Amino acid sequence: MPKILLAIVILAGLSGSAWAETITTTVNGMVCAFCATGIEKTFRKQPEVATVKVDLPKKRVVITTKPGQTLSDAKIKEVVTYSGYTMGKINREK
Amino acid sequence: MKTFYQLPFYLLLASISNLAPPAQGKPLSYVGGTMAMQENDETGHTLAIDYTFDPHFAFGLYSKYEIGGNEFWMAGPQLNTLLKRWNLPEGQGNIFSMTGAGMARQGSNNQPAAWMTLLADYETRRLFFSYEPRLMYAGKIEKSFWQRAYAGFAPYVANYDQLNTWVLLRVDHHPAKADHFVVTPVVRFFYKTIWLEAGYSSNNHVMVNWTVQF
Repeated sequence: MPKILLAIVILAGLSGSAWAETITTTVNGMVCAFCATGIEKTFRKQPEVATVKVDLPKKRVVITTKPGQTLSDAKIKEVVTYSGYTMGKINREK
Repeated sequence: MKTFYQLPFYLLLASISNLAPPAQGKPLSYVGGTMAMQENDETGHTLAIDYTFDPHFAFGLYSKYEIGGNEFWMAGPQLNTLLKRWNLPEGQGNIFSMTGAGMARQGSNNQPAAWMTLLADYETRRLFFSYEPRLMYAGKIEKSFWQRAYAGFAPYVANYDQLNTWVLLRVDHHPAKADHFVVTPVVRFFYKTIWLEAGYSSNNHVMVNWTVQF
């Protein structure tokens, strides 16, 4: 019985570490379709990123990472800045 | 033949001065992106292809056949530079420069050419303003100053994967042309990476411009 419990705990831990993360960031200066496309394409080039969705009216980008991977705040800021914009608030969900 | 020897000097001059030609859209794409632009209006027919290799720089080729006054063709490499950007929660302001140098041709007369444009714009989801002064040197063919302004609004707010529409008024002042002041009501459409605008000018010319990013 203890072995079964241990296996459940290990499996739960492994599955937890493999969860994808949904990161939402607001982007200052993202006002046009060309801006949105540039940001989307730059995020898609990141190996940790699975999907990118831009919400232009709300000026935010929703990024889903690949299972078990994440993007640090510093990396997100770097990508947004490299795209020519300024990062706003970040929200993370697992 | 003498003018060909002068060309490197003008290329250097243009590069140092960091100036440029006309562009109604933003002259930079995302890094690694290529942008093709074509303009047809009362000032002529333009084709430009630029590659953005840095968040602040794009390099490409520019060609224009000038009409409406002195008719000639000019072409050459061009450097587009983002000089300053203001990213605001509800808008964005930019100052760009576009600098090029190459050759102008009128009949059998070839002359060195250099051009420089500054483009200042401010845009929100609803409003757009831009101002664009331009200097052009085409040796003995033409030396001119030209300026252009846009003001307009979006009648509705759309997402980037929907059709974005703008209604604008464009005012041109080009003393070297037959009509010094030209006013053009313009309708502009954006769809993802495709940009198209059309208008009809006060001197009775159809205007059709487009830009594609890929």
